[in-house]
Amino acid sequence: MKKISIGAVLALVFGCLSFAEPALAADGAGGVAWYWWPLGLFLVSFALGVLAVLGGIGGGVLFVPLVSGFFPFHLDFVRGAGLLLALSGSLSAAPQLLRSGLASLRLALPLALVGSITSIVGALIGFALPTDVVQTALGFTILAIALIMWMGPKDDRPRVGAQDALSSALRLHGVYDDPARGGRVEWRVHRTPAALFAFAGIGVLAGMFGLGAGWANVPVLNLLMGAPLKLSVGTSGLLLSVIDTSAAWIYLHRGAVLPMLVAPTVIGVMLGAKIGARLLRAASASAVRRAAIALLVVAGVRSALKGLGIWT
Amino acid sequence: MPVPEEQRIYAGWLDVASRAGLAILAVAFLAYAFGVVGAHVPVEELPTLWTLPLEDYLARTGAPTGWDWIGMLPNGEYLSLIGVVMLGMATLVCYVRLVLALLKNGERLQAGIAAAQVVVLFLAALGFLAGGH
Repeated sequence: MKKISIGAVLALVFGCLSFAEPALAADGAGGVAWYWWPLGLFLVSFALGVLAVLGGIGGGVLFVPLVSGFFPFHLDFVRGAGLLLALSGSLSAAPQLLRSGLASLRLALPLALVGSITSIVGALIGFALPTDVVQTALGFTILAIALIMWMGPKDDRPRVGAQDALSSALRLHGVYDDPARGGRVEWRVHRTPAALFAFAGIGVLAGMFGLGAGWANVPVLNLLMGAPLKLSVGTSGLLLSVIDTSAAWIYLHRGAVLPMLVAPTVIGVMLGAKIGARLLRAASASAVRRAAIALLVVAGVRSALKGLGIWT
Repeated sequence: MPVPEEQRIYAGWLDVASRAGLAILAVAFLAYAFGVVGAHVPVEELPTLWTLPLEDYLARTGAPTGWDWIGMLPNGEYLSLIGVVMLGMATLVCYVRLVLALLKNGERLQAGIAAAQVVVLFLAALGFLAGGH
């Protein structure tokens, strides 16, 4: 079951990409009727939505390099669509995460403020730089993300000694229910100033490349601040909804949000996520994660080579 | 459940706003893609246009920036943007409600941070931070 599921998802992704690539190589539009492109985008987004849930990653980090590398859409529009993909996914998940206590609004508030300001700066930088520079930087960033995900250090029970003065003042502590641990889990965090600095960088990357930044949020919350892993994952989703909103406004006002790209992407990834959630019990998370990392490497290499003009 | 009251309020508001935005985006897009409503840029021409850098696309199509798209309603692509705007507004509206809840609880520091976030989101939504035009 799991091999069939993962294989089918990967086949769908590569099938759509293999369709897109030669058509793109022909003349940019490839003489293909217009409706095949949003349809292909929908299918790729659907598959990425399945992978994102099964692999515990954000869809945006796969979407932007893959679609900008293999589809004819200009990077400006792909970044806008990627940002809205990440935003809509996080908006859908955040209410349940908040109600269950697996996301902490209190913890998110200061980090989101810093991240949202710098995501606006990142978006402006992305529009100011030449496309090939952004494409190349995207490729190397994606390869770095793949490396981070491959190493994947996580701590389910981080130890936090004394809270720093800032986290004490902001009362960054709380309790949530975790049946897997057999009851309530008390949490608190430390190293808040360093985390704020890290989120400043995360915001720039999210805005500049149109990536959701769950791959970076979780390690900062978990490994740097000492938040429990489940709380880190949940709060990361909430943070995405705020940080990506700020950058999304920039893309919208600059005219870089094309509904013909955004709507199939958002609808596809939402439906895919629902299917992914149903497959979650049958699939091997580690196998999906390896598949996602492999996709990231392919997308990162493609993006870097395209930006450098080696494989256009 | 050990979930703070302001967090439950925020979750409820976010749920409604995001569902509404996604529903409007989906319905408006289907109307646009299936030709139920007209379009400023004919969909058949899009494959030759979406390959262009943003500035060239805007110059070729006369597509609006900022909030000027409102004047282009009811063209299908701009009807779809209503859903996108609702997604963008969801967090802003929830933060405004959050500030009130935090002030009611006497949490001034947290309320101040949330208020600063409202200012950032509000300025971004108005287009003051977008630059370029």
